[in-house]
Amino acid sequence: MPNMREIRERIASIQQILKITNAMYLMSSSKLKKARKALDSTEPYFYKLQETINSVLEHTPHTRQTYFDRRDDIPVEKRKKGYIVITADKGLCGSYNHNVLKFTEQELEKAPDLSNCYLFVLGQVGRQYFTKRINNSQKAFVDGEFLYTTQNPTVYRAMEIAQLVLGKFEKKELDEVYLIYTDMVNSSVQENKMVQLLPFSRRHFGKSADGTMKKLPKASFIPSPEEVMADLIPNYAKGIIYGAMVESFCCEQQSRMTAMDAATTSAKDMIKELSLLYNRARQAAITQEITEVVSGAGSLEE
Amino acid sequence: MAKTFHLEIIATDRIFFQGECEHLVIRAIDGLIGIMAGHEPLVTSLPTGEMKYMVDGEWHYAAISGGFIQVMPDSAVILADSCELPEEIDIKRAEEAKERAAEMLRQKQSIKEYYQTQAALNRAINRLKISQKHFK
Repeated sequence: MPNMREIRERIASIQQILKITNAMYLMSSSKLKKARKALDSTEPYFYKLQETINSVLEHTPHTRQTYFDRRDDIPVEKRKKGYIVITADKGLCGSYNHNVLKFTEQELEKAPDLSNCYLFVLGQVGRQYFTKRINNSQKAFVDGEFLYTTQNPTVYRAMEIAQLVLGKFEKKELDEVYLIYTDMVNSSVQENKMVQLLPFSRRHFGKSADGTMKKLPKASFIPSPEEVMADLIPNYAKGIIYGAMVESFCCEQQSRMTAMDAATTSAKDMIKELSLLYNRARQAAITQEITEVVSGAGSLEE
Repeated sequence: MAKTFHLEIIATDRIFFQGECEHLVIRAIDGLIGIMAGHEPLVTSLPTGEMKYMVDGEWHYAAISGGFIQVMPDSAVILADSCELPEEIDIKRAEEAKERAAEMLRQKQSIKEYYQTQAALNRAINRLKISQKHFK
């Protein structure tokens, strides 16, 4: 029979944890509500942006714009790849972080040379994870000055990030830029996604559903395609990054809520079991005491 | 009734306007452009500025900050960072933002920071201007 005091202490400690998980559950559910609202109001922009860019590119004449430069002269193993990875600032959100990190890791494995991979990690968890990985066998470079939080995404933060990577691309410090984030398919299904931000390739676009090139009249660009693109692509990058940030933040809150809900339920179950055990032990102790008293009294009579 | 085209104005935080429009006047990077139904396909980017659109013979005004427009003969899509009606503009906030940006410009800054504060100042001034002009 386990010790009564031990059980009591365990129940107390589980109750403490229950309080924490319950509080986190409440917090994340209210944050989720906010994030959902942000997501719902951003989604039209996010999708319309992709759609419009697609159709704009269909009408774009061939340009020599920097952001379209695929730099084919640089061999595959020398290409500097940048990855913007969106993780959470905190743990305790189920498999959310784990999924993003694993997905990124898989993508990094595909790269021919890890020392040419540059990671721009949003969120504390991912940053710490990848910084530690450097000391091991992996050598992907993590930008230490890239310190952005994933809490409550704003357009201006997205703009700063977009400017940073576009600047690096222009200076040829990066040849390819990818964005890794978590997409919310619906409230229970989340999916990791990777999109190529730069160079802007028209291979992804410009083809209709049946795979044939659409013959469309060229649109006019004012003042010139190059100038419009120079303005439009940073805008697009910013929009995509912002959308991804909002999606990921919403996913984070969603998974934290589910995880904390599960933790609270299992804590309650454990308390139930332990209090049963505790009551049993208590009763056994009482019975034992009575037996002792009775037998003590009996031996006195004799 | 004039011929109309479908206009969609989408800001990062909401769908600002969706519907039929008769006439749209907007500031592009190199000057004002007017768009009516049957306009040639056009793409251009939009700086922070003012725009107006006519629905049912009535002009509506809005402050827009940064974005681009795609025009097709029968439709137009504006994707903007933010878009506000004159009556929605928080004058106090815009004034504070203007003060802050003006103060920042007096400090020594890197070129990048300088551009960013200048953009912020532009946005604030634009908001103030439009709210003063159209909302009394």
